[in-house]
Amino acid sequence: MDIIRFIQYIASGTAYTLGVTFVALPSGLILGLILAIIYVYGGKIAARTLSVYSTIMRGIPPIVLLFILYFIMSGTINLSPFWAGSISLGVISSAYQMEIIRGAILSVSGGQMIAALAIGMSRLQAIRYIVLPQTLRLAIPPWSNEAAIVIKDSSLVYALGVPEILRRAQLISASTQQPFLAYTTAALIYFGLVLFTNTLLRRLENRLRIPANP
Amino acid sequence: MTNKILTIKNLTKIYGDNIVFQNIDLSINEGDTVVIIGPSGTGKSTLLRCINLLTKPNGGQIWLDDEEITSKEVNEDNVRQHIGMVFQNFLLFNHLTALENVKLGLIKVKKLDKTAAEAKAFQELERVGLVDRAHHFPGQLSGGQQQRVAIARALAMDPRIMLFDEPTSALDPELIGEVLEVMRKLSLAGMTMLVVTHEMGFAREVADRIVFMEKGSIVEEGSPEDLFNRPKFQRTREFLWKITELYGKKEQEE
Amino acid sequence: MKKVSVALMLMFLVASALVACASPEADSVLDKIQEAGTVVVGTSADYPPYEYVDESGNFAGFDIELMTEIAKRMDVELEWTDMPFDSLIAAVQEGKIDMSISCFNYSEERDEKVDFSDAYYTSEDAFLVAEDFAGTITNAEDVANFKIGVQSGTVQDEWVTTELIDAGLMEESNLSRYERVDQAAMDLQAGRIEVIVADSVPAQALMGQFGGFKIVFEDMLYTGPINIVLPEGDSELQERVNSIIAELQSEGFIDDLAVKYFSD
Repeated sequence: MDIIRFIQYIASGTAYTLGVTFVALPSGLILGLILAIIYVYGGKIAARTLSVYSTIMRGIPPIVLLFILYFIMSGTINLSPFWAGSISLGVISSAYQMEIIRGAILSVSGGQMIAALAIGMSRLQAIRYIVLPQTLRLAIPPWSNEAAIVIKDSSLVYALGVPEILRRAQLISASTQQPFLAYTTAALIYFGLVLFTNTLLRRLENRLRIPANP
Repeated sequence: MTNKILTIKNLTKIYGDNIVFQNIDLSINEGDTVVIIGPSGTGKSTLLRCINLLTKPNGGQIWLDDEEITSKEVNEDNVRQHIGMVFQNFLLFNHLTALENVKLGLIKVKKLDKTAAEAKAFQELERVGLVDRAHHFPGQLSGGQQQRVAIARALAMDPRIMLFDEPTSALDPELIGEVLEVMRKLSLAGMTMLVVTHEMGFAREVADRIVFMEKGSIVEEGSPEDLFNRPKFQRTREFLWKITELYGKKEQEE
Repeated sequence: MKKVSVALMLMFLVASALVACASPEADSVLDKIQEAGTVVVGTSADYPPYEYVDESGNFAGFDIELMTEIAKRMDVELEWTDMPFDSLIAAVQEGKIDMSISCFNYSEERDEKVDFSDAYYTSEDAFLVAEDFAGTITNAEDVANFKIGVQSGTVQDEWVTTELIDAGLMEESNLSRYERVDQAAMDLQAGRIEVIVADSVPAQALMGQFGGFKIVFEDMLYTGPINIVLPEGDSELQERVNSIIAELQSEGFIDDLAVKYFSD
């Protein structure tokens, strides 16, 4: 097989990698954000429950959750490999993103909340307009780590037969006996995706930076 | 007969075994400026926070005009927009410009439209002399300027009363004057104010009434004239003597 | 920690309860296939020459071409799903795919979870070594004296595990399991293992691709015949597939395929 075609074949898996990432990362963000708010402001019972949730989700290897959702739960919800993979990764990512955002909320001074309440805002308004805008800025650098992890973990859906980058590299490696070239191609594509995402997020961070923030 | 804006009866706050203050009675007439003085840790700041419902008292009642705000049916958010509060550490919203800091409550709480809110915000910044800093972020302002924006932010809500919790304590000495000047003008303009401060010069000049608190109770209260020149209690005299030692010299130097 | 394990247990209980509630499919998969007009077949396309990706990125190989003919004779469209070999049985079991063709040998363990078609081809196993290999292997069990590599989950893996390791003939540490057979070939080249136990057809293919290898022993070690994996207890589908396989065998179609793919 000539090299151009071979690289094209592996690279065409990028669509699946991006697809899984674009489902898992934002859904993990939304879920993580909501859970983080409940964790911090929802009282002791909520905090304890979520701490258990976080420990479990961060403790389960993603591939195990993937198999549970795809094979074991298939009688209840018949998900396609793509959705089973994306949802599993999203749920696991939500636990990590919850911890990131929780840390960021706690590092915004408590005085900000008090000042917001003092002008008559409700707690929800204070969270929405005062705490979160500052929190999310603080969360961008650790969040770009999480984005890189999800991009790379998206390769796990190969185990369910989604023809993403890694699986294609495996197939090419088997049929051409050129594993070095196949896996180097895959590695470079992943590297490019992570680099691109991190650059984008760093730009966002700079754009949103608050001038002369103490 | 003058109208009572704030009435406090029998107010008590206890943290665990620690009695912060006990059986406080206090009332403030419309347009008056009342200054609370006293040693640190006597519950003055906590008293202000209780009035603003940021801290729950353990007993007693508070009325704003005729409404009992310590009653259970009261909507706390609603009460707070009628009570302005200025903090020792300014507590401006760090991610917003001076103008946005003042504007936000008008839009989100008072539900003004954007144009009206902006006009009102500029008006309040004008009052504290900071229109030219409208588009600066808190980090780009001096402490004195930040505190003046904080005052404008509280004023924008058209409060019935303004609470000041040691508004100049965190400021470098050369920045205290500009903040006191804003407060002085505000008092002259008829705003009802309750001020906790160590600035005796300000208290003497601006206050209609001075309250001396110590160890969680009100020791005595009266006009500046009476309290400074003819204190009834030895404790008051001692405190005034100490505070003049500390701050008085500085005032003479200025 | 206690809390965590309780929560984990709860989760698995819920999961298994959900599985238990799921109603078993009453209809034959054959009906489903014919209604849909499409048969969904799983394979692990990393095992040339049985199944692999060709120059144009399509699946090709002995199994692939055979299945294409079977689907044609069932008068339905063929839809391929590629997944790792280890996932295929579970996918058939859970109805994610209708059947799987991926050089499967019959084994009792697998037969408990899924059904098998009649054998469509009989393959032998081979011991692949480097050309300078100096050992002697007269009986199959002699291989226990060397460092062995197998593809994980294959019948060769099972044979080495049960007949050699469990029988006490060799240490488990002397067995390396690889996700794919070409990885084993690279380790054989590097000298990390001494013998690859594999199906003789891919073993011959590896010999051609890598060079410097030879086959020292060839036999039907376990069960040589290879079968299509079908859903458990679906006799209608099994009969249909078996009759097509019989047709193809008598017509000489399968022998032609073997010549095409297995002769160097």
